[in-house]
Amino acid sequence: MSWLARLRNVFRPDAVSAELDREMAFHIAERAEALEAQGMDPVAAMQEARRRFGNYGLQKEDTRGRDILVWLDTLLADLRYALRTLRKSPGFALVATLSLALGIGANTAIFTLIDVAMLRSLPVRHPEELVWLTHDGSLSKNPSSFTQALWEHIRDHQDVFSGIFAYGSTGTADLSSGGEARPISVGLVSGGFFSTLGVRPVAGRTLTDADDYQGCPGVAVITHRFWRSEYGGSESVIGKPVLINGQPFQILGVAEPEFFGLEAGYYPPIWAPQCAGTILRGAGFQGGGSLIGRLKPGVTLEAVRVRMAGLAPGILEATLPADLPADAAAQYRKIAFSAVPFATGLPGLRSDYGEALFVLMGVVGVVLLIACANIANLLLARATARQREIAVRLALGASRLRLIRQLLTESLLLSLSGAAMGLIFAVWGSRALAGLLLRPQQMISLELSPDLTVLGFSIAVGILTGVLFGLAPAWRAVRVDPHTAMKPGGRGVAEGHSRFRAGKALVVAQTALSLVMIACAGLLLGSWRRLATIDPGFRSEGVLLAGVNTRRAQVPGEQLGAIYGRILERLRSLPGVVVASAADRTPIGNSNWDGDIDVEGSETASGTDTRVQLNRLSEGYFSTIGAGLLAGRDFNRSDGLGSPPVAIVSRETVRRFFPDAPAIGRHFRFRYTRGFSAPFEIIGIASNTKDHDLREESQPIVYLALSQEATPGPSFNFALRTEGPAAALGSGVKAVLADIDPRFSLELRTLKGQVDASLKLPRAIGMLAGFFGALALLLASIGLYGTMAYTVSRRRNEIGVRIALGAAQARIVRMVLGDVGRMVGAGIVIGIGLSLALTRLVAAFLYGVEPNDPVTLSLSALALVAVGLGAALLPARRAARLDPVAALREE
Amino acid sequence: MAKTKNDILQGTLALLVLKTIAAQGKTHGYAISSHVQRVSDDLLRVEEGSLYPALHRMAQDGWLKAEWGTTEKNREARFYTITPLGRKQLELEEASWARLRDGVQRVLRYA
Repeated sequence: MSWLARLRNVFRPDAVSAELDREMAFHIAERAEALEAQGMDPVAAMQEARRRFGNYGLQKEDTRGRDILVWLDTLLADLRYALRTLRKSPGFALVATLSLALGIGANTAIFTLIDVAMLRSLPVRHPEELVWLTHDGSLSKNPSSFTQALWEHIRDHQDVFSGIFAYGSTGTADLSSGGEARPISVGLVSGGFFSTLGVRPVAGRTLTDADDYQGCPGVAVITHRFWRSEYGGSESVIGKPVLINGQPFQILGVAEPEFFGLEAGYYPPIWAPQCAGTILRGAGFQGGGSLIGRLKPGVTLEAVRVRMAGLAPGILEATLPADLPADAAAQYRKIAFSAVPFATGLPGLRSDYGEALFVLMGVVGVVLLIACANIANLLLARATARQREIAVRLALGASRLRLIRQLLTESLLLSLSGAAMGLIFAVWGSRALAGLLLRPQQMISLELSPDLTVLGFSIAVGILTGVLFGLAPAWRAVRVDPHTAMKPGGRGVAEGHSRFRAGKALVVAQTALSLVMIACAGLLLGSWRRLATIDPGFRSEGVLLAGVNTRRAQVPGEQLGAIYGRILERLRSLPGVVVASAADRTPIGNSNWDGDIDVEGSETASGTDTRVQLNRLSEGYFSTIGAGLLAGRDFNRSDGLGSPPVAIVSRETVRRFFPDAPAIGRHFRFRYTRGFSAPFEIIGIASNTKDHDLREESQPIVYLALSQEATPGPSFNFALRTEGPAAALGSGVKAVLADIDPRFSLELRTLKGQVDASLKLPRAIGMLAGFFGALALLLASIGLYGTMAYTVSRRRNEIGVRIALGAAQARIVRMVLGDVGRMVGAGIVIGIGLSLALTRLVAAFLYGVEPNDPVTLSLSALALVAVGLGAALLPARRAARLDPVAALREE
Repeated sequence: MAKTKNDILQGTLALLVLKTIAAQGKTHGYAISSHVQRVSDDLLRVEEGSLYPALHRMAQDGWLKAEWGTTEKNREARFYTITPLGRKQLELEEASWARLRDGVQRVLRYA
C-alpha cells in the first residue's frame, strides 16, 4: 500500500511539492502569529518563525524523500537529463541508436528463428508432459519409428501414459483434381491424437478412437489455416469431402487456430486416421510411426524408461514377424525402448537448421560487439568533451558513483531505444532470413511474430550492450581531477594519454574480431562458390523435369509402363525438345532408393559395403541430363519384359565392384532380406553423377530399365532437354498430359532449379557471412578512422611543434601510419589466434577447404591492412599539412 | 555541540510525536511541535521543520493517518491521527525508552 502511494507520487511531483509547501507554510504562519501575539512586530515574527523552522529547502527535500520512491525518482531525473544531453548532440544519438538498432535487430531476428525452430513448446495443453518413445535403432534407421504391430502392443500394454497416439505422414499427397499437382502432406494419426494433445475443434469435431478402425472410410480434420485459405472459414464445409489423391475425405472438423501440428515449419494441413492410410497408399499400407504419450500425473520420464524396458521382452516376443531368419529374430528380441521429452515437438527444423542458426547467431553477435566498440569509442570522446561539466559536478559534491549511474543511464537509454527499434527490424528481418534459409513450404506455417521470449532476449541484449559500451567510458569520465580539469587551458594536460590507450585497445579488439569475421566469410563464400561451380557430372541448364502422378486415375500397375511410354513419345515430339527420357529419380532430388548387390563370381566378404543407389530409366536419360555413356550401350527396344534383365552402372560402381576385369557382360544380383533377385547383366557404363547432394563423393549407382519393370510405381519423372529456356515448355507438357488423362497431375520444375534449391543453405550462409563480414570491416574501419582523427586533432600542438622544429611531412605521415600499423598489427595477431580457434565452428558448412586455410587467413589479414591504411590516410594527411603557426597559436 | 541535542531528539522523536498524537487525537504539525516544546519546557528545542520528515515517514509506515482539514481559525492544515498500528508502535517505543531510562539511571547511580 505504502509503496503504491509512493509510486503514484513519483508521477505527480508538482502536486507533492505543492502539498508540502502548503503544510509547511501553515506551520510557519501559525508560529509567526503566535510570536506576534507575544508582542513581536509582524516582520520580525515572520523572520523568527522561519529561523526556528530551519533550512526550509533541506527539510522539504527530506520530507519529499519519504513520500516518493526515491530510486525511481532519481532514475526519471537521470532519464530526463540523458534525453536533454542526447538532444544536444542529435548526430551522435542517431548514429549510435541506428547502429545499435541494426546490431540488436540482427541478433533478435536470428534469435526469433532459433526460438521458433528449437525453443518454443508445442501450442498444446501442458506440452512438458508429452513424451516421445524411441528404440535403439536396430528396428529401422529412424529410432523413433515403430511398426504397426509394435504400436498396437505398446498402446494396449502401457500403463504410464494417460493417452498415447501414433503419428505418421503420407509423404507427399496431391490435392489437385488433375493438371498441375498441389503437393501437400497428410498427417496420419491414431484416434487418440487430438485428445492426448488436448487440441480442441473450433468447428465440427476432432478425430476419436472410434474413427480409427480397419477399413474405415476417409475422414479428415483440417488446420485452421487451411480452413481459412481453402474454404474462407465457412462452417458449411463440415461434412463435405476434400479430395486427396482424388479420393474423398469427409471433413469432420477444424482444429484450433494455434495448432499447426507436431513440427514447426512442417505443414500437414490435413489429419486423417491411420486406418485411412490404405486409401492413400494402397492396401499394403502399415500404420505406426512416431509414438507420443502424455505422462500420467506423478509419473516421471525415468519411470517411463524403466516401465518400457520392463514391457519390452513381452511386446517384442508377441510382435516378432513370423518369417524372420533366426539371426534377425535374435536381434529383434534385443531391441531396447527408451523415451525422451517431446515438449518442443518433432525436430525437423531443429536438425536441419540448428547448426546454421547458431553459426549465424555467433556472426551477428560479433558484429554487435564491434558496433559496441565503436559506440564506446564515441562515448570516450564525448567524455573528454564533457570533462569540465563532470569536474564541476564533482566539485559541487556529486559522488562518482552517482555520476557513473547518470552516465550509464545515458548509455542504457541509447541501447534500449536501439533494442526497441531493433525489435521492429527483427520482425522484418526474421521473415527475410527465413525466406533466405527455408523452403517456401516451410515458411507457411511458421509463426514468426516475436513472443515474450524474443522480447526478453532483445531487452537483455539491450541492457547488456548498454553496460558493455557504457561502463568503461563512464568509469574513465569520472576519474578526472576537478582541480586540474577546471584550470583554464589545462585540458590537454588533464587528459594524459590514457584516453588514447583505451580507444586504441578498442580498435585492436575490433580489428581482431573483424579478422575472424572476414576469415569465416571468406571460408563460407569460398565453399559456396566451389559448390556452385562443382561439376555434378551432368548439365543442369536447359532441362525441364515433369513429375507425373497417376494415383487419382487408379491405373493398375501393369498398364503404367505403356502409359509412361506413350507420355514419353508425345513429349519427344514437342517442338523445342532435343531429347526426352523417363526416370524414377532425378539428380539432387529428395527421393531415395538403394539396395545391396552381390557380384557373380566374386566372393563378397561379409561386412564390406555392397550398398548401391538405384534408379530406373528409359533410354536417352544420359544424353538428356548431359551425362555420358562411357562404354557399352543404352537401354533399347530389345530390353523388354521377356528378355534377360540388364543394367547400366556408374563408373564408381565399376571401380568398387569390378576393379580389374571389364565390367560389361558381367552379372550381379540384388540381395534381399530373404534370398536374391535374378541376375542382371551389365550392358553399359555411365559417367559418375552426383546423386543426392553436390557435396557427396562419387556414388555407385545402378540403373535399371523402365521397359523391364512389369508394374512401375504410380508416379514417375520425365526429363526434357530443351533448345530454349527449360521453363518455356511447361504449357506444352501440361497439354500433353491433359490429353493423355486429365486426372493425372503434374509437377514441373527445372533441373537447374532443383540443383540450386540444394545450394540454398550454403548460399544463404555464405551471403549472410559475407554481408556481415563486410559490415564488420566497415565498422572497424570507421572505428579506426575515428580514433586516428581524434588522436591527430588532440596532438595538434605536439605535431605543430615537430613541424616547426623541422620534421618533414613524410615523417609525420609515417608517425601516424606507424600508430595505425601497430594497432592493426596487434589486431591481426590476436585475430589470427582467435580465427585458428573459432573457424572450426563453421566446419560443417565448409566444402573443399580446411577451417584454418592459410590462404584465406592471409587474404583476410591483407584486406584488414588495406582497409586500415585507407582509414588512416586522411588523418595522416591532415597531420602532415598542419600549419604549425596556427596550431601553436591556439594555445 | 548543538548537534548532540538534535541526535537525541531524532532518536526519540517518533516516541514524542506518537505520544502527543495519541494524547491529543487529531493534530497538525504545528500543534505537535508546540506541544512537545511546551511540555518538555523548551528542552528539546531544534529546527521545527525537522518534524516533517518524521511525520511523513510515520504516515508512510502506516502508524499515522494524514488528511487535510481546517483549523478553528479556518486555515487549511494537514491533520494526523494515530492508527492501531501506530498505537502498537507507541507501546514498543515506550517500553524501550523505559528500559533505556532505567539503564542510564542505574549507571548514573552506581557508577
